[in-house]
Amino acid sequence: MKSIIRYRRIRYIKRIVLHAFLIAGGLVMVFPFIWMIFSSFKPSIEVISVDFHLLPRSWTLRNYVRVLEELKLPRGYLNSLVVSSIITLSALFSASLAGYLFSKLRFWGRDALFFLVLASVMVPPHVVLIPLYALITAFRWVDTYQGLVFPFLMNAFGVFLMRQFIRGIPDDLIEAARIDGASDFRIYFSIILPLVRSALAVLGILVFLWSYDEFLWPLVTVHKEGMMTLPLLLGHFTQAEAKYPGESMAACTMVVVPVLIVYAFFQQHFVKGISMTGLKA
Amino acid sequence: MRIRRVNSYVAIVATIVLGYYALVCLWPFAFNVYLTFRKTDLLTEDRFIGIDNYRFLFRDPIFWRSLRNNLYYLGIMVPVGIVTSLLCAWLISQTSGISRKIYTAMYFAPVVTSMVAVSLVWQLLYFPKIGLFAQLLSRAFGLDPNKLTFLQNPATALLCIIIMDIWKDSGLRTVVFLAGIDEIPDSLYEAAKIEGASEWKQFLSITVPLLRPQIIFLTAIYSINAIRVYVPIYMMTGNPPGGPANSTKVLALQMYQEAFYGMRFGYGATISMIIFALLVGLVLLEIRAFEQKWEY
Repeated sequence: MKSIIRYRRIRYIKRIVLHAFLIAGGLVMVFPFIWMIFSSFKPSIEVISVDFHLLPRSWTLRNYVRVLEELKLPRGYLNSLVVSSIITLSALFSASLAGYLFSKLRFWGRDALFFLVLASVMVPPHVVLIPLYALITAFRWVDTYQGLVFPFLMNAFGVFLMRQFIRGIPDDLIEAARIDGASDFRIYFSIILPLVRSALAVLGILVFLWSYDEFLWPLVTVHKEGMMTLPLLLGHFTQAEAKYPGESMAACTMVVVPVLIVYAFFQQHFVKGISMTGLKA
Repeated sequence: MRIRRVNSYVAIVATIVLGYYALVCLWPFAFNVYLTFRKTDLLTEDRFIGIDNYRFLFRDPIFWRSLRNNLYYLGIMVPVGIVTSLLCAWLISQTSGISRKIYTAMYFAPVVTSMVAVSLVWQLLYFPKIGLFAQLLSRAFGLDPNKLTFLQNPATALLCIIIMDIWKDSGLRTVVFLAGIDEIPDSLYEAAKIEGASEWKQFLSITVPLLRPQIIFLTAIYSINAIRVYVPIYMMTGNPPGGPANSTKVLALQMYQEAFYGMRFGYGATISMIIFALLVGLVLLEIRAFEQKWEY
């Protein structure tokens, strides 16, 4: 009897230690965000000061007012939303079209073409950066949406993922539709597309996050402030305004918080999507 | 015998796929190789200079510095990142229900946020002498705050960025490991318990070996990331990025600066080919590690 009580006590202590470690780790993970949000309500001189205090001594909205005055932030949201939406829709559509092509249809050169798509994953963005920049300049697409979305319209990883998914759809289903005289486009729209919706949702979240965070390509193709996406606008602003940490944290808060709110609602999908594919840009 | 007619779906989709990849991958790759043999600013000057770019590259001290920094980044980021996330995943796997969901959500939050914003926040946390980290370290360990200059000290700048990067993505690795731990059958642990193995022993002799596929996979992904790293260094180091004294310069940054600041597109293209060669080498190593038979 005594040993059971002792055993229980040890187990109890172990659980407390376990949760103490996990809570400490969790605080390390979220603390920079908490600090960022509180700092955005502090006057700039208070953000970096010798006596540290997390909460502002005097709350102020001045940082937000200044950022909105100086920065075309609403335009940045619009640009980011337009660019990321076009990229996501196009990547989903092209990945499912190509996924059906590579998984269920036979034609001459199929394996070679699929190998080409896979090989493109190996080519880092840096290698195609200068040539694509030259191309964009030749098309006069600098500072345009076409230029911003152009290299991301089809996603090789997405093609691969959708091919794996569509492979699992039974052939009988497709054969039956074909006997009824349906064309492959018809089969794609009325059989394949409805069946891969959940995989498309996962891929959509990933592609949207990647494109929302893309930095190198916009940095090269956009020079006008009115065409900048959010990350670029943020980088551009803070490099000029490094003297005002309060304003810089207000700008960061405005970029990060919408994503964190969406994440809070769809947390399970984010985590599932990313762990399922295990990949990021 | 069935007569084959041309399937319009195949014709249209295959053409689009081929055309698109020819335009954004095949042609640019070929053109990039072509550029490495030229001196060009893409506007007025464009001439063939043989292998001079490569010859200059191997004598360029900044290139060697960048390469060394990339390898340093890889050497710290990959092992430390994987070990810390493995431990986090192991601890989280001992919890269940709502507390497990909350921990996962907390650890994962930095993964979904913008790297640019996160870099700016950490840059302020690393503020020299009077920033938050400087105060914490000087209070906790009695260090002289005037010596804690973090990103402005060539000896510590890159390490500070690596620590931030480990923090940023640890949730992603943790979630991948958690999924792997969930797949390990309970019977293995029960057998170990009967034999009286401690929890730490169980972790080392059951959990870690069975997570080998995840470890290899994440090693590969983060090695590639370390060779391609660019954004946090561009955002967190001064003007021009890569300082102080080239201590945080990496290949991707040098390539960007040579090409788009210095208008030496041929030389920039040459550096990007080195990045490509390193990635191919890493991927080949990864394939070998995956195929290797593992004996228990």
